[in-house]
Amino acid sequence: MSLFTLGIARGLLGQVLGMVIGMLLTCAVRILLGWEAWAAEPAWTVGSVCSIIGFLLGVGSLDDWLKWTKGIPTPMHHGPPVDKPAWTRYFSVDYNHKVIGVQYTVWGILLLMVGGTVAMIFRTELARSGLQFLGLDLYNSFIGMHGMIMIFAILLGVGGMGNYLVPLMIGAEDMAFPRLNALGFWFNVPGSILLLLSLFIGGWDAGWTAYPPLSARGPIGYQLFFLGVFAIGLSSIVGSLNLLVTILRMRPPGMSLFRMPIFCWAVFATSLLQLTATQLIGTSFLMVSVQRALGMGFFDPRGILGEVSPMVGGGDPVLFQHLFWFYSHPAVYIFVLPGLGIVSELLPVFSRKPLFGYKWIALSSMAIAILGFIVWGHHMFVSGYNDILRIPFMYATLLVAIPTGVKFFSWLGTMWGGKIHFDTPMLFVLGAISVFLIGGLSGPILATVPTDFPLHDSYFIVGHFHATMFGGFVFPFFAALYYWFPKVTGRMYNEKLGKIHFFIMTPAFWVQTLGQMGVGVMGMRRRIADYDPTLGGGQIENWQMAVTIAGFAIAFGVMLMLWNFFQHAEVGVAAGDNPWRSRSPEWQIPSPIPEHSFPAPVRVVGEPYDYGLADSGYVTTASTGDD
Amino acid sequence: MTATAIEHGREHEHAADDHHHTGDVDLPTYLEFTRRNRLGMWLFFASEAFLFLALLVTRFYLWRGPHGEVVRPELDQFAGLVVTAVLLLSSYFMNRAEVSIANDKRTDFLASLLITAALGTAFLVGVVVWEWGMFPSIVKGHLKPTDGVFGAVVFGMTGMHALHVLSGVVLILNVWWLGRKGHFSSERHWGVEACAIYWHYVDLVWIFFYPAIYLIGSTIEAPH
Amino acid sequence: MANNRRHFIIATVLILICTVLVYWVLDTVLLKPAAAVVEAGPIDNLFDQHIWLIAFLFALVVVFMCYALIAFRARGDEGDGEHVHGNGLLEILWTVVPCFVVVYFAWISTTMLLDLTRPNPDEYVVSAEGRQWSWLFTYPENGAVTPELVLPVDTPVRMDLTSDDVLHSFWVPEFRVKQDTVPGMVTHVRFTPNVIGEYVLRCAELCGTNHGGMLATVRVVSAEEFKLWQSEQLAQLQE
Repeated sequence: MSLFTLGIARGLLGQVLGMVIGMLLTCAVRILLGWEAWAAEPAWTVGSVCSIIGFLLGVGSLDDWLKWTKGIPTPMHHGPPVDKPAWTRYFSVDYNHKVIGVQYTVWGILLLMVGGTVAMIFRTELARSGLQFLGLDLYNSFIGMHGMIMIFAILLGVGGMGNYLVPLMIGAEDMAFPRLNALGFWFNVPGSILLLLSLFIGGWDAGWTAYPPLSARGPIGYQLFFLGVFAIGLSSIVGSLNLLVTILRMRPPGMSLFRMPIFCWAVFATSLLQLTATQLIGTSFLMVSVQRALGMGFFDPRGILGEVSPMVGGGDPVLFQHLFWFYSHPAVYIFVLPGLGIVSELLPVFSRKPLFGYKWIALSSMAIAILGFIVWGHHMFVSGYNDILRIPFMYATLLVAIPTGVKFFSWLGTMWGGKIHFDTPMLFVLGAISVFLIGGLSGPILATVPTDFPLHDSYFIVGHFHATMFGGFVFPFFAALYYWFPKVTGRMYNEKLGKIHFFIMTPAFWVQTLGQMGVGVMGMRRRIADYDPTLGGGQIENWQMAVTIAGFAIAFGVMLMLWNFFQHAEVGVAAGDNPWRSRSPEWQIPSPIPEHSFPAPVRVVGEPYDYGLADSGYVTTASTGDD
Repeated sequence: MTATAIEHGREHEHAADDHHHTGDVDLPTYLEFTRRNRLGMWLFFASEAFLFLALLVTRFYLWRGPHGEVVRPELDQFAGLVVTAVLLLSSYFMNRAEVSIANDKRTDFLASLLITAALGTAFLVGVVVWEWGMFPSIVKGHLKPTDGVFGAVVFGMTGMHALHVLSGVVLILNVWWLGRKGHFSSERHWGVEACAIYWHYVDLVWIFFYPAIYLIGSTIEAPH
Repeated sequence: MANNRRHFIIATVLILICTVLVYWVLDTVLLKPAAAVVEAGPIDNLFDQHIWLIAFLFALVVVFMCYALIAFRARGDEGDGEHVHGNGLLEILWTVVPCFVVVYFAWISTTMLLDLTRPNPDEYVVSAEGRQWSWLFTYPENGAVTPELVLPVDTPVRMDLTSDDVLHSFWVPEFRVKQDTVPGMVTHVRFTPNVIGEYVLRCAELCGTNHGGMLATVRVVSAEEFKLWQSEQLAQLQE
């Protein structure tokens, strides 16, 4: 079997060819225009655009649509490829949502490891003041790289959970648009490769937020970074569109919106944000990109002062921040809502008790999503926009606390009076609650403008958002990995290793986040390679060291988890169909799930979380045979 | 654009899936597939609306005079009016194409599609040659992309819109070509419908863009 | 029901103890730099109110959670818990009560913000320009330009900030307040230094390679010393 029977290998070849063709094309056009043939920035930019198309053509995710344009029918192929080993489907275009879900998740974990490695490198640098081994420019590229890779990883993780779980949870055969689903995943591969490649052609030194004017004058790496973000953004848009249609149109009879598993509500709210807000980060980055490439001065501030002439200048760097945060604030909710959905989904199972206040939790997700659109200005409290605007943004931001509080209290209500089991997924759910609590509670102090002044752009922010990301995504994501691992593989992971992972990672994270917040209050700014060792009465270095050690402990815990999964995917104890005694549809069918998930149409016969109600069920499938 | 390409031609799917399931699975009907596609298409429009809104916000944010008043550059009013009229007219023929295939009038259907594509192309030529001055030997444009925020926003807005018109024309020609080969019928023409609503949508966007670029605000004379 | 009441009484006591403990921990860990402006008073006070709120809410959730985990652990029992779907009154309660807390905090922050940004007719104006990677200060009174910022004590100051190239941010941790500098725009920040001493101005917005090293010395001096310094500057200017 040759390597090129794997779609991904053909895709990578296509990406290289696309890059070369794009560059040659640029040179050709420049020669025709009578300019010097080679110019690095246009060549790399056009090359990168072509490289994304080259990858998609090479991997074969556009094949069916190209046939449609010619009117050739494309029968849907089910099951592993006929003439190749079954495992190859995970490395090629496959239309089954369960395969795509695994592809998303695995690629997400890979990026999580790359992003984590980058973090470990500069965290080691920060353990002591002074510059040890990183240069200033490399440090700046690394912090931005860590941020963006992690955002990619989280979006992939969110996509993985949504793709794998939503059709199963609503008893659907597959997603509404399987081909679009595959395309949505494959966008991510060339996108993340471009992002990583940008590091080798100069990097980009303005952090993941890429504020102009700095980003409008930095190295060429920015163009590859922007294009990588476009690719991931397209993936977000088509993926969320697919999930929305799936949820809205493919539920079985009887499953009203308020009878869906709660995770589907979280995905629904997230998808609404992803579908719409993602356009704004694309637009803002596109504007910087064309300002660099074509001299279109959207954010070029010449001429704002004094004699205004919109013919020669008039651009405004603050406008970029408005457009950028209109996506990037909702993005935070895109990352955390599915995670909070996982918490709400797992708590009833391990507490053996109905979800407390189902409708309130469902609607609080929607409330958070809607509020997410009107709070972006809190990232810009000191940016220099109109002073008065800070007040409505402050009120709106503080309001987010209310639906978030509803979730916390409802979770407590779910646990209260239950019969709680402490398996690894539940431990990670509890870890998620404790960590997200830290992240959430450190929010209002940043939302009120006077206390934001000293904390803005300090390390306190770093502590705050790492707590929200870990509590809202990483811990619930790990909980989900442990929880659905037996469903995906049919085997059980090692419970003891899982618990060790939890008891290393959770306290380590508490130390890390508290340490980051602590050094921030002492006066340490974010995004600096070297800091003043006298801050905090000389205590700052101790805290930095503690944060670094905690970071390494977390990395060790993650490695332990991956080893656990890797080790037990093939040889673990057979898990059985429903090891957690869940009522959700995916646990009523065999593990691992067969090609066609449900042997017969799913019928809804009860409420999703009626734990404790004797002789009740949520859905029937033919395999349970009780109808 | 991607999503449009995806929705279009979806009718093959159903036929393809037919022989795959056994009797006990209720297979979604063509109607159900069309409903999903339609919803997907409207969600795609909702998404795109945010892109165009961002451009409109940029225009009103950046085009401000010395005292904060709304301003606009001096553009060719006649060119703007003509291309707008052409695009609006094209929507009528797109609608005629859709109605014709729904009534199995294939000749009318194909002719209307071609007229729509021609009008769309005329719009593109109008914008690119006349307004942009892409070929200075034919028409000299008023603005360059590098002319401050006027140039940036005019080229940004018309460029993004032109990209959508271009993809619409390509889709229409594809549908026309398939229609000529005998595809689509009065019962099954989701591909035509998708193409049509996409075209109307692009048209609708221009109805917001045209006044924002050409009409609203007082003009500021070019300094040179 | 009586059982539940006993649970709640124990939990309430634990919450109160835990609140004080968490407050003490946060107060120990979060070491604010010394305050050197009048404005630091209300800002630090609001900060402290936030820390109390954080301590209380953290205690509330964690105590209830840990209590539930211990009191309602399965104990090898494979049965199910109580079949309760929720409690509308409770949900309304924990939606409405936080609203009041939110409005309280938003209100005091709004009035404080208006105080912090209110123009003062007596304020002393200094311009600052950020550039990669240094600061320049201009004293409009006499046109002196210096790389260090010297300010008279107990005088309200307004900084007019601008930038020559990219975004920077004006931040002296001891002064608490912070404001970005934007090329093509003048932004303002107001404070009243009230402690004589030497501080460090640190650029707080990523501005390229040497962002971390973009520092400037800030000296707050007595009125007499400031006069002296001004005349020195003037003398240098005339040379």
